[in-house]
Amino acid sequence: MSPLVQHLIANLVQVAFLVVFAPLVSGVLARIEEMIQGKHGPSILQPYRDIAKFFAKDEVVSEEASWVFRFAPFIAFVMPVFVVLLIPALTAYPLFFAFMGDMVAAGFFLALGGFFVALAAMDTGNAYGPIGASRTRMVGFLSEPVFIMVFFSVSYVANSTIPYAVNAAWAQSWATMLEPAHLLVLVAFLMLVIAENDRIPVDSPSGKVEIAMIGHSKNLEYSGRGAALMKWAGTMKLMVLIIIFVNVLVTPWGLAATTHWGDIFLSLPKVLGKILLFLLGLAVIEASLAKLRLFRISEFLASAFVICLFAMSVRLVNLA
Amino acid sequence: MNPHVLEVARALDGFVAAIFVLAGLGIIMARQMRGTLYLFILHSLMLTASAVVLGVTLDSIHLGLVAVITFFTKVLAVPLVLVWTTGSSAYQRREVEQVLSIPFSILIAAGLALVAWVVTNPLINAIPDHPFAAINLTTGMMAVFFGAFTVAVRREGVAQLMGLFVMESGAFFASISIVNDLTIIAEIAAAVDVPIAALVIGLLIRNVHKLTGGTRVGSMAELRERH
Amino acid sequence: MLLALILIIPCAVALGAVISRRVAPWLTLVGALVVLGLAIVSALEVLRTGVLRAALGFFTLDSLGALYLLLVAFVGMTAALYSISYLTARHREAGEIPPRYRQYYPLFNLFMASMLAVPLVSNLAVMWIAIELTTIFSAFLVAYEDRAETLEAAWKYVALTSMGAMIALLGILILYYGVHRAGEAVSWFGLVRASSTMAPAVLLIGFVLALVGFGAKAGLVPMHTWLPDAHSQAPASICAILSGVETSAALYMILRLYPALARNPGIAHPNIWYLVPGLITVGTAAFLVLQVTDFKRLFAYSTIEHMGIILTASGLATAAAHLGMIDQLFAHAFTKSFCFYAAGLATLALGSQRIQGNRGLLKRSPVVGWALLLGALAIAGAPPFALFISEFQILRAGFSAGEYVATGLLTVFIVLAFIAILYQIGGIVFGEPDPDLEAVEAAPVQRLPVTGVLALGIAFLPLLVFGFYLPPPLSQLIHQAAALLGGGA
Repeated sequence: MSPLVQHLIANLVQVAFLVVFAPLVSGVLARIEEMIQGKHGPSILQPYRDIAKFFAKDEVVSEEASWVFRFAPFIAFVMPVFVVLLIPALTAYPLFFAFMGDMVAAGFFLALGGFFVALAAMDTGNAYGPIGASRTRMVGFLSEPVFIMVFFSVSYVANSTIPYAVNAAWAQSWATMLEPAHLLVLVAFLMLVIAENDRIPVDSPSGKVEIAMIGHSKNLEYSGRGAALMKWAGTMKLMVLIIIFVNVLVTPWGLAATTHWGDIFLSLPKVLGKILLFLLGLAVIEASLAKLRLFRISEFLASAFVICLFAMSVRLVNLA
Repeated sequence: MNPHVLEVARALDGFVAAIFVLAGLGIIMARQMRGTLYLFILHSLMLTASAVVLGVTLDSIHLGLVAVITFFTKVLAVPLVLVWTTGSSAYQRREVEQVLSIPFSILIAAGLALVAWVVTNPLINAIPDHPFAAINLTTGMMAVFFGAFTVAVRREGVAQLMGLFVMESGAFFASISIVNDLTIIAEIAAAVDVPIAALVIGLLIRNVHKLTGGTRVGSMAELRERH
Repeated sequence: MLLALILIIPCAVALGAVISRRVAPWLTLVGALVVLGLAIVSALEVLRTGVLRAALGFFTLDSLGALYLLLVAFVGMTAALYSISYLTARHREAGEIPPRYRQYYPLFNLFMASMLAVPLVSNLAVMWIAIELTTIFSAFLVAYEDRAETLEAAWKYVALTSMGAMIALLGILILYYGVHRAGEAVSWFGLVRASSTMAPAVLLIGFVLALVGFGAKAGLVPMHTWLPDAHSQAPASICAILSGVETSAALYMILRLYPALARNPGIAHPNIWYLVPGLITVGTAAFLVLQVTDFKRLFAYSTIEHMGIILTASGLATAAAHLGMIDQLFAHAFTKSFCFYAAGLATLALGSQRIQGNRGLLKRSPVVGWALLLGALAIAGAPPFALFISEFQILRAGFSAGEYVATGLLTVFIVLAFIAILYQIGGIVFGEPDPDLEAVEAAPVQRLPVTGVLALGIAFLPLLVFGFYLPPPLSQLIHQAAALLGGGA
């Protein structure tokens, strides 16, 4: 097998990894949170069941809705798949599509998906959709600068914004891992992951009150296949961001170092294990915090921004 | 000194310093009293950690002593004294008002961090022989500024007290990198000084609470030039 | 042993005051008298031998330290005397004994001990701790009367001065590094010796941090806001100590840094660091005196003004100006404590501290009226009092050194403050008492506290005498101290 073909296949394996395991990640997170709250919680396979059930149901679309509404779930579904082509999900060496785009491109893809979902939410006559959309946009506007700052800080360390290069730069030694700039970027990015995925303290994922929702009210109008895709896309977005956080920033180890197939498949449980550890941490954070009032979200993201600013200055002045 | 050990120690110290800065920022921002206290404990723990790292690397028994003293006074004694003096008022899970909005105050904090760097830069250039001076001096100066800023923007007595101790921790964080043989007397005296200060200020807060029904010292504005 | 005793006695007395509340006032007075005696003996010893060392070098006393020690011991003694009947009179007026009465004498003695420690200990870091302890121990003395205002004043006092202390701590520790690196002991002597070889950045940053930090405690503008509050709310006996010697303790630290700064070849204009903050402080205080409405606050602002004058004099940087500065430091402590004693009695006589509406104090209580008037004259710098001599010395030294702008400004501010103080106090002292008020307060002015008047009399002696005549040993001590602060040598 030529290296090119092998890289292509490895890329497909990464996509499959994301598509297959994303609902599981959400299921596990939900279960852990329920357990922390002293409840038994749903099965970790519940998201799969939900998605399967949605697929089996009829789709009802509002008469007011245009093509955007039908189209949005597909875009939302495809964008995380594009992103996973660019990031080191399983292998430490760059794959075929790795140099197509950098971390800014990854952010762009995710933002594009979010843009269409927001449009779609406003497309129907439902009142809650636009509310959710506008709130999501607010969070989005505020998180955008943080995104950019995180990329800048990261690129200072690695001299590159290609995720693979960043991964390699940080995997070099323990010493670089401990750099203050690195820690600060980590914290900022974690806050970003929380905000982008509508988790506590920005938004409550298990909330059932439409008027208090931020991200989740955008999906209210979907049913059948659309709902399934949207849910799936949501889990994938979470998983992609977690993969970036875990594989690129926090623990750049445990990825396949060679093109050997055994190596690649061995990295699967390792990466899943890292994600599980991260989910535990995330669940603890979510369990110990209360949801912020809407006006406080700007403070939350502004803090993330300033932390990034710190990271930048630390790098700039070359303190450590 | 083994250059590799030094490199790792510097990295560790930088890591500790970053958490130190974050905890300081957190004390400026934290909305609840209890959170402020936890962050303060984290802050003091990081001072202890830095003293341990420096003590081990530089082989200084004095820094070890500083670490022990800091641990016992700031991490253990101060929270206990505060619980004893201010009681529940210090630890209520209740929102604390600030003079400035939080984004604005953290922006100012970022500015202060830059100022701290500008101020310490000539100092670092003048101190070539201490491997940790660059990290610790800047971080310590930042903490001094953050603490002063906390006192300025926080209306709550306990939070202002935290600000004072953040300043003190900052001064020590900076100085352990350059002065690693403070006399024993000074160390012991400093150890006595901190809990006494906590005690007296805590009692003051308690009296304010008793008299005004709250600990919002920032809203006390009886004294001014009246006409 | 002599030096150690000076610290041990107040601590022991504090313990005694905890044990027996009945004898506490008299025990405190006796302790203060003994300390004053010891301070005089050690000052004479310093004059004979130059520098006194004790307890393996833990204590050091030079001429400036001895001078300051004398001030603290003297003001402490008069304050202890004054407290005895002044507090009782206050209690009688309020109709109750405040709950903090039992803490007053122990804290008073601890406060004195921490202040006496400042000139005695030789290690700079320990000295910083002593300064910080003065704040801590005096917090509840400021909040002695349990009211919202006193607590507010105490809180501002503790928060702002502790904030300053923390900044000063960083400065002291940076200086500590510099001195230690030069291989000297970390005392004032070591600092001065090491200063010429220290890196200018280390010395300057350490100094600026110490200036800002101690400046907050010395009441330099713009960190002065706590001072009028604390100094107006505390009992008069505590005000006398706070204004007379405690603010000077912080200033003492700043002044002692000057020779180190001046000896470093890398620092271009060391005196600017003293001149500019000093002038800003004097100027601001002079204008603030004009608009006060409370006569204890008036004296507090006057303290700020005098701190500024002393700092400016230090910045004039000639031997004559330094001599005037030491004279000023010395005279201010006596005069200001006298003023607060008089103000305390006036508060008792008038029933309030307000300037407006209170008139004719001379008619209502001649002794207090005269005391307040003399105090105002003395603190404003009218001849023949000691402050007139020292201010005149400073101004003359400034003009002959060619610092026309700075000295000219200083003159204007001093004159302004002079007019303001006399205008305000004159309003209270002269004129006819308000007839309505007289009718309301049918009861005669309560009997003046005996020891209070006695303390007033004792405090008045040096005020008047030193205007005409300085005993030769004292004058010699002042000259030595001034020489010590000179940067040139």
